Amino acid sequence: MTAPDPDRLNDLGRRVDEAKKRQAAGAKRPPPTQMGIAGRFATELVASVVVGGGLGWGIDWLFGHFGFPTRPVFMIVFFMLGSAAGIRNVMRTATEINTEIAAGAAKTDEEK
Amino acid sequence: MATNPMEQFAIKPLVENPLFQIGGHDIYFTNQSLLMVIVALASALFLTFAVKPGRLVPTRSQSMAEISYEFVANIIHSAAGNEGLKFFPFVFTLFIFVLCSNFFGMFPGSFTVTSQIAVTLALASMVILVVIVTGFLKHGIRFLTLFVPKAPIYILPLLMLIEFISFCTRPISLSVRLFANMLAGHTMLAVFAGFVVSLGAAGGILSVLSIGPMLLIVAIMLLELLVAFLQAYVFAILTCIYLNEALHLHDHH
Repeated sequence: MTAPDPDRLNDLGRRVDEAKKRQAAGAKRPPPTQMGIAGRFATELVASVVVGGGLGWGIDWLFGHFGFPTRPVFMIVFFMLGSAAGIRNVMRTATEINTEIAAGAAKTDEEK
Repeated sequence: MATNPMEQFAIKPLVENPLFQIGGHDIYFTNQSLLMVIVALASALFLTFAVKPGRLVPTRSQSMAEISYEFVANIIHSAAGNEGLKFFPFVFTLFIFVLCSNFFGMFPGSFTVTSQIAVTLALASMVILVVIVTGFLKHGIRFLTLFVPKAPIYILPLLMLIEFISFCTRPISLSVRLFANMLAGHTMLAVFAGFVVSLGAAGGILSVLSIGPMLLIVAIMLLELLVAFLQAYVFAILTCIYLNEALHLHDHH
C-alpha cells in the first residue's frame, strides 16, 4: 500500500467540510406540488367544518341526554366556529407553504 | 366485462373462522391484516439485515437504509430541532410503515393498507396522543396555553374555542389526506384499466384506441409512485410540526 497523496487528502477534507456545511443549511426537501397544496387546503378546510359540526352535535346530544333539548343550537354555533377554525388552518398552512417555498428559493439562489 | 373500481378496497377475511372476539365483535384475519404483517416484517427485516454488515463503504442496500435514516433525521431536525430527535424511533417507524404500505400497494393485485380510513385514523390518533402526552409531561398544565393566542382579552374566549377546534381537526386532516390520496389514485388506475378492457372488447377501430388509456395508466402509475413517497413524507413532517408545538410552546409565533 502506497502512502496517501497529501493533495488528495486535503481535497477530501475540503469536500467533507463542504458537505457538512450543506447539510447544516437544511434538509433537502421535495418541493410542494400544486396538487399537494390544493389537497392540503381542501382537507384542512373540510376537516375543520366537519369536526366543528360534530363537536356541536355531540354537545347537543349530551345536553339532550340530561334533559335539555338544545338541539340544534350548539351544532349551528360550532359549525360556524368550525368554519372559522378552517379559515385559520388554511391561513396557517399558507404561511407554512410560503416559508417552505421561500427557503427552497433561497437555497437554489445559493447554489447558483 | 365491467369491474367495479372500488372492489380493490374490499376487506375480505382470509381465514374462515374468526381469530378471537373483542366485546362481542368477531376479529378476522383479513387481506388487510396480511398486508400489514407483510409490510411490517419486510421493512423490519430489510432494515435490520441491510445495516448488519456495517461496512464503511456501504453496499446498495446498506446505503438505502442509511439514506432513509438521514432523510428522516433531517426532517425531524429541521422541523422540531435537537429535542425532537428523541422521537426519532417513533417518526421513523411511522414514515417507513406508511412508505412501505404505499409502495406495496402499488403491486398489481396487492392491497393498499393506507387506503383504509381505519388504518390512517389509527396512525393519526397515535400521533396526536403522543403529542398530547409529551406536551403535558413537558409543560404540565401550561400546555393548555397552546389554545391561548396573543389577542385582546374580549375576543380571547372565542379564539380559544376556535384554536381548540383547530387542534381537534389535526387527526382528521392528517388521516384524511393520506387516505384520500391513496384512495383517489388507485380508483383512478382502476377506472382507466376498465376503459382499456371495454374499448378492447368493443372491436374494430375502438380496439385500436384502447392503447390511449393504456399509456395513460403508465403515466398515472409514475405519478402514483411520487404520491406514495410524498404522502409518507407529508405524514412524517406534519408529525414533526405537531411534536414541535408540544415541545416548544409558542416559540414559533
